[in-house]
Amino acid sequence: MNLSTAVKIKYEKSLVTGKDASVKVIFSTTKDVDGNDTWEFLSIPMDEHNTDYQAILKWIADGNTVEESD
Amino acid sequence: MAFATIDLTKGVTGVLPSANATYSTPRENAVPIIYNGDMSVAQRGTSFTGVSSGSNWPVDRFEFYPTNLGAYTIIQESLTSGEAYNNGFRTALRIDTTTADASPAATDYAILRGKLEGKDLGLFKKGTSSAEKFTLAFWVKSNKTTTGQVNLFDIDNNRLVSGTYTISSANTWEKKIINFPADTTGGFDNDNALSLVVEFFLDSGSNFSSGTAPTAWEAQTNADRNANNFAIGSSTDNDFAMTGVQLEVGEFSSTTIPPFQFETFGDNLERCQRYFTKITRGVANTSICNGRWYNNSNVGGMFHLPTSMRSTPTLSITTGTNYYNASGTNANNFFDDFTFNDAADLSLGWYKGSISGTQGDGIIFMTNNSNASVSFDSEI
Repeated sequence: MNLSTAVKIKYEKSLVTGKDASVKVIFSTTKDVDGNDTWEFLSIPMDEHNTDYQAILKWIADGNTVEESD
Repeated sequence: MAFATIDLTKGVTGVLPSANATYSTPRENAVPIIYNGDMSVAQRGTSFTGVSSGSNWPVDRFEFYPTNLGAYTIIQESLTSGEAYNNGFRTALRIDTTTADASPAATDYAILRGKLEGKDLGLFKKGTSSAEKFTLAFWVKSNKTTTGQVNLFDIDNNRLVSGTYTISSANTWEKKIINFPADTTGGFDNDNALSLVVEFFLDSGSNFSSGTAPTAWEAQTNADRNANNFAIGSSTDNDFAMTGVQLEVGEFSSTTIPPFQFETFGDNLERCQRYFTKITRGVANTSICNGRWYNNSNVGGMFHLPTSMRSTPTLSITTGTNYYNASGTNANNFFDDFTFNDAADLSLGWYKGSISGTQGDGIIFMTNNSNASVSFDSEI
């Protein structure tokens, strides 16, 4: 996961608990094989064993900020 | 050393095992320590072009990671001939250099690696007085007749040991067997985190190549990790293919190494799915799971995972406009993306907000575009 190419990094709430449960990461738009816009979308659970979430925590420790959830 | 055999005309021949034998014995009926060593499972796809950075997976569990050092095509190659084929291997991992970088900067590198979690490694008894040796075997083919380096990198204790292999004949499958010493220092953690990396260093700048390959375990030093530079990125003529990767407990030679432990494709796939699972098939209008309208503006459901994953996985989606459909009674409800909600051992809940429906109605969650892709990732 290369967070430098992300266009949005934002907390997302659980529908059931109403608390932040994941981090949404949206990458920049490219073209699919049919020439239409496509993009990669990650929903990263806030589990410290998940290596993507570990990367988010490091990104935060490096001075970056995750956008607050709605 | 050959094990004893019984010949009906000659009686017992060969060397009988004894209580104080110094050679190792195969782990009978054991599953391979290395996942997908025959390169047969490739859930993410079988061909990727223009690979120049980050984490890339030509086959499951083998990661190719270049950083500012050329560009590559990486594929799962089907084998139809050659010694690897003759030994039962039908697939290989292949890396072709498509943009060369013959003078990499000091910090640049290109690595092919397999990663193992601590829970799989207790049998090496590392960090104890009974620590075992390691033997790594693999089939390799390249246009380059040169010497490459492979490292065992103990992440838990930041320790490293290296071996080298020499490709003698260009474009010819060769089996390599490398012995690594035991390490009485630093045990692997018994957890689900990364503990050991089997690291084929394929190219680098001087930060990784200015040292000496350690033949005994040492505190990890970057300069020692690629002292024998394969230099795959040095020319667009270069390629590197590998299969039959096998890690064994103990010391084996070319004559005593146990046969590669071929698994059924299903067993191999299920083991790989602990780390990555893809549930779409590149077909539009495919049903993925059931769901329901949680209220009038949120729809959701639950994915059943095929096996217990290493950790709560990342929900990874390839999407575009209206790539997904919450198909209800006489109504399609198209949307672009959806979000992780919760997870249990064998399931992962998802939902999509800001979408209109009727609370309590059921839906079938479907793809609406052949390029839609849904996968779960808990790689280490």
